[in-house]
Parts: sequence; structure tokens; C-alpha cells
Amino acid sequence: MTRIVIPAVILLALPLALSQFWTFIAIEVLAFALYAVSFNVLLGYGGMLSFGHAAFFGVGGYAAAILLKKAGLPAGLAFALVPFAALLVSALVALVIGIFSVQRSGIYFAMLTFAFQMLLYTIALKATSVTGGDDGLTGLKPPGALAQPIYYYYYALAFVAAALYFLHRLVSSPFGFTLRALRANARRVQYVGVNVRAHQLAAFVASGAFAGLAGALFALSTGNVFPGWLDWTASATPIVMAVLGGVHTFLGPAIGAAVYVVLEVFISGHTEYWPLAMGMIIVALVLLMPEGLSGLRRKPA
Amino acid sequence: MSEPILRIEGLAKRFGGLEALGGVNLSVAPGDFRAIIGPNGAGKSTFFNTMTGLLKPDAGRVVFEGRDVTGEPPHRLARRGVARTFQITSVFADLTALENVQVALLAHARMSWSVWPKARPLHTARARELLNLVGLGAGADRRAGTLSHGDQKRLELAIALAGEPRLLLLDEPTAGMAAQERLESIRLVHRVARELGLSCVFTEHDMAVVFAVATHITVMHQGRVLAEGTPAEVRSRREVQQVYLGEAA
Repeated sequence: MTRIVIPAVILLALPLALSQFWTFIAIEVLAFALYAVSFNVLLGYGGMLSFGHAAFFGVGGYAAAILLKKAGLPAGLAFALVPFAALLVSALVALVIGIFSVQRSGIYFAMLTFAFQMLLYTIALKATSVTGGDDGLTGLKPPGALAQPIYYYYYALAFVAAALYFLHRLVSSPFGFTLRALRANARRVQYVGVNVRAHQLAAFVASGAFAGLAGALFALSTGNVFPGWLDWTASATPIVMAVLGGVHTFLGPAIGAAVYVVLEVFISGHTEYWPLAMGMIIVALVLLMPEGLSGLRRKPA
Repeated sequence: MSEPILRIEGLAKRFGGLEALGGVNLSVAPGDFRAIIGPNGAGKSTFFNTMTGLLKPDAGRVVFEGRDVTGEPPHRLARRGVARTFQITSVFADLTALENVQVALLAHARMSWSVWPKARPLHTARARELLNLVGLGAGADRRAGTLSHGDQKRLELAIALAGEPRLLLLDEPTAGMAAQERLESIRLVHRVARELGLSCVFTEHDMAVVFAVATHITVMHQGRVLAEGTPAEVRSRREVQQVYLGEAA
């Protein structure tokens, strides 16, 4: 019980103790925590390394932006629909990408996801009338009081908590068990009567859908989406967060996301070479703590 | 003679210019304990992989319980009641032994798509029963990857049995074991198969193992069936002695 109550109290009280700037950062942490955990449902549980996950985060962000700016709905209604639209659109995009990508495994799976993400990047860049092209879509704003970071924080927290709860049920379910077995030995699991590709596809769709929700929540916090969200370098972010936090625990990637975002704020405040510092931290971490930060809690064998 | 549980007609498979299977026929009656023997490269593993849908046959038919299942993917064949094990021990290494069997039981119960209930408490009683049946009750909570080679083979058997198969296909069930362990291992399979009324087809190199349990033997050589019969019949065939038994002696 304390495992849930204490973090819940901390997360609920957090914005009361934070400045507006840090509340804004806390929202970013929430969105990226969901992004990293949903990514890791594929990597840590299913053994599938997606190198195009930015596609879903970006599509979720664009879905939110297009719904708010282009759909012509009343602002309140459009806003209320955003999370569901983001989930749905990202799930559909993940379904299409997944149908092709799960035909292969390992590096070929990674390359297929990568290729589809580049395709979406090009669309975001060139379909100017819908996506705003190079300039992206800006000026997104939640209605009323939710435009203030402190209230939007609670709004995002509610969705992230619900999504993480769902994903946790998913990985603990018979489906999640099957996914772990599939990571351990895909050939063996076929022979107990499991349709491997169908399960991989389902995991891919669930992962993509929640990555999309994360993108939408983040887009409404920053107020913009840009094609850069879909660029291939953006796909490294959830990988780094998951590895940083540890891919073998459910919440490890969320911890990784928090550390990554906060470090980025601190280091980029001092130097424009923050990726350099981040790179060194990752090298040290992977060599010294292959289980990631969440591995610290475990006793050495 | 009753309808065979497994009937294979003219199964053929080529890899480029290499003819791995040149039209193999096999008929297994219910309750048979069939050994497939033959030197390395005789096509035994290809035969297993082709008849279980892992490889697509170029020609021929596979009929299980009177139904044509040629080229059906492994998961579908498993659901029909065909289980197999692998020459290279194949378990879910990061899962515990108990979880290994649970995964198979959940799949058998068509629950692998269930996303809401917690899996941990499901089917544990049956999983423990199966582990006890293969003599692995004490290792239930150990990670499968840390079990000894022999125990992993037992676990594989428990996983295979979880699907309540009627036909068990074992690809070299005693590979990598010491001589004494091999006999114990095949006797375990034999006892369990008898208890559960399963038919069994297994490939094997060790003649002592084969003659200890097989009701029928099929000898393969260069992708074809060279001889077939009861152990006594096969032992007396001269060409079998030349290509295989002689080579071993």
C-alpha cells in the first residue's frame, strides 16, 4: 500500500512546492515517463527494439494540434476529445506500421520502424496545409484554468496515472506473460499455440497508442508541435530514458525519463553542449550499471 | 489396423540444390512410440521442422487425426494437439519453471489474449502438477535458465504436456546427456506418454535408448526412409547395419 500512497502523495503535492517553471518541467516529466514506459512495454517485455517510436509520440502531438486548430470544433469539445483522438490515431498508425514491421525481428524490425517514422517526418514537413510544415503548429492552449501549468499538471497526472495503471495490468496479465515468454524464446512459444506475430502486433499497437497520448499531453503543455518531434534523432530519446532507468522494471523507464528531463534542464542551463554531457553520463551508466538506475535497489547477486 | 494418428505422404523439402527430404512417408498408429534414427544430415530435424509447419514443404501431405494439416503454422498445429520439443533445449530462460508451464497452460486455455486478470495466480495448481509429473516439483520457482541441462529437458516436457497433446514430437530428447541420464530421461517420457495415452515420435542417436522404448523404428538416410519396422526387424536389416548401426559399432 505504501508503495502507491507515498508516490501518490508526493505527485499530488509536488506542484504546490514548485515554481511555475518547474511545474512546467514536471508536466514534461509526466509525458515522457508515459512515453518511456510505453516504449519499454515493447523492449523490456516483448524484446522488440523500436527505432521509430517518435512516430507515435509525434502523431499523438499532431493529432492534438490538428484537432484543436483545424477541426473547427468548439474549443472545449476539441480539448475534451484530444486524449482519445491521440490514442486512436496513434493506435491506427501503429497498426499499419506494425503489420509490416513485425514480419521481421531484431535489427530488421528496428529498421522498418525507423523507415516508417522517416516517412511520417516527411509528411509533417511537406503537408504544409495540415501540419504547418517547417513551422509546425503553434499556439495550442487548453481552455480556461487548465491553461495554467498547475491545473494542467493535475490533468496530465490523471491521464498518465490511468495509462500507467492500464499498462501495468497489461504486462501482468496472461498477455504480458506471453509477451515475456515471446521475448525469451519466440520459436518455443509458437509451439504452445501462440500466434507470435499477432501478439507482437498487439503489443506494438498498445505501445504506440500510449506513446501518442504522451505526445498529445506534451503538445498541450508546450503549446506547439514541430516536425522535429518525428525526426529520427527523437526516437533515441525513449531508448535512452528506458536504458537509463532500467528496462527490466515497469517503472524504471519513468525514473529514467525524470532524470533525463531534469538533467537536461540543469546542464543546458550551463552549456549548450548538453548532449555531450548526457552522452558521457549514458556511457558511464551503461558500463557501470547495466541494469539502469532501478538496478541500484537490487542487491548484487 | 486403426486409423493412424499421424500420416505423412511424400513429404519433400529442398534447400537450393540440396534435397533435404526426398518424399518421406510415415504412418504412426495411436499409442506408438516411434523412433526415427539415421546418421547426422539424414534429414531428421528438417523432417520435424517441415511436418510441424516451421518450414514449408515443397510437396507431400501431413495428416493428423484424419485432417490435412500440411503447412499449418506451428501455433495452429499446437492447438490441434501436437506438441514438440527441440534438439537444442528450448525453454523460457528468464521465467521461472512454474511460469514456463503457466505460459503454456494459459495459451492452451486460449487466455494469451487476456489483458486484465493478473496472470501470476492462474493455473498454478496444474502447473505444479505437471512439474511434479516430470520430477521437477522442487525447482518450480527457479529461473529456467539456471536449471541443469537435464532439468531443462524435463521442463520442456512439462511445457509440451501443458497443451494436453495427443501426439508428442521429440527432437533428440536426450541430446547432450550422459549415457545413464539418457536412459532415465527417455524412460520418463515413455512412462508419462503411457500414463496419458499419448503417441510419440522421437529422433535419437543412442541405440540403447531407441531399443529401450521404441515400438517401431524408421531409419532415415539422405532425406529418405531407408527401412521401417519393429526394433527386431530393423536390427536384422543389412542395409541399416551398413549405413547406421555398423557406423556406430
